[in-house]
Amino acid sequence: MWRYIKWGFRITVVLAVFLFLHYTLPQHSIVRVTGTFNRLTTVGANSMFYASPDAGTAEGTLTRDIRFIETVRANDKVIVFRNEDTGLIWPPYFKYDSSNLQAEAGNLRSDKANPQWVSVTHYGWRVPFLSIYPNAVAVKAVAGPDVRIIPWVNIVVLTFLAIAALMVRRMWLQFRERMLDPVAQDVAEAWDEVEDRGEAVAGRARGIWGRFIDWLGTFRGKPRR
Amino acid sequence: MMGLIRVFLFAALGLTVVYWLLAIYSRSTERERLEKKWDAGPPEGAPDRDAFIEAGMAKYERSLRRKLIWLVYIVPLTVVAIIIYFVNVQ
Repeated sequence: MWRYIKWGFRITVVLAVFLFLHYTLPQHSIVRVTGTFNRLTTVGANSMFYASPDAGTAEGTLTRDIRFIETVRANDKVIVFRNEDTGLIWPPYFKYDSSNLQAEAGNLRSDKANPQWVSVTHYGWRVPFLSIYPNAVAVKAVAGPDVRIIPWVNIVVLTFLAIAALMVRRMWLQFRERMLDPVAQDVAEAWDEVEDRGEAVAGRARGIWGRFIDWLGTFRGKPRR
Repeated sequence: MMGLIRVFLFAALGLTVVYWLLAIYSRSTERERLEKKWDAGPPEGAPDRDAFIEAGMAKYERSLRRKLIWLVYIVPLTVVAIIIYFVNVQ
């Protein structure tokens, strides 16, 4: 039972970290831009997946004009991106150039007969049920739908996170070795001392009590020990 | 503007925590290294263990390694500046 809870907890934590990173880290999609437009959008319960109100394009209202970029992949499936500033802290893309990005995307528009393939760097998920869209961060013209893009940012960020995790572990072990273990040892020694003293006291008590019991015993004819 | 001040405040706070943790860790490893060095065989002319370690720690406080911990403040700010540049400049 306890083992299942422990494993359930671990799996939940790992899954949460994975999903968090999967949402936040940049991804590349090779697409063809078919349209760029603005749409008045009301952000409600899903506002967590939109720009925070302090971002330049959000300006503190729930109903706002959001820029969108419609695209098509090589397999004819569509992706719709939103194009919003990211605000000051999270996610840390520090994107303030949504207008420029919209213009760049519009400039790269192409049709099926004359495709201009574009690599869109984005983060986030498209979940139709929640009406959330991945946020485009950059667009770049590429040669074809099959170009290989090396995710340098992800490599650097994940490496850094791994090093940071190892560092935290080492720091904790050092702290335990140098600070906690000596204290625990002192406590153990102090406890031994307390126990010794306790036994001594118990022995003395046994002496007085024992003599009292012996004295009581004499009324019933028992000899004193 | 208030948002920007808040970001700087929180960043300063967070980085200060990281700075202190790293400083304590680094000092701790240095002290451990000195203790082990003494225990492996005291260098000649050294008076006693405590004095040896204190002298080593005083030297550490002036060392480059101690000063490199200031990178905790410099590196993130640089990285943010670089990200802002590359994301927003065409």
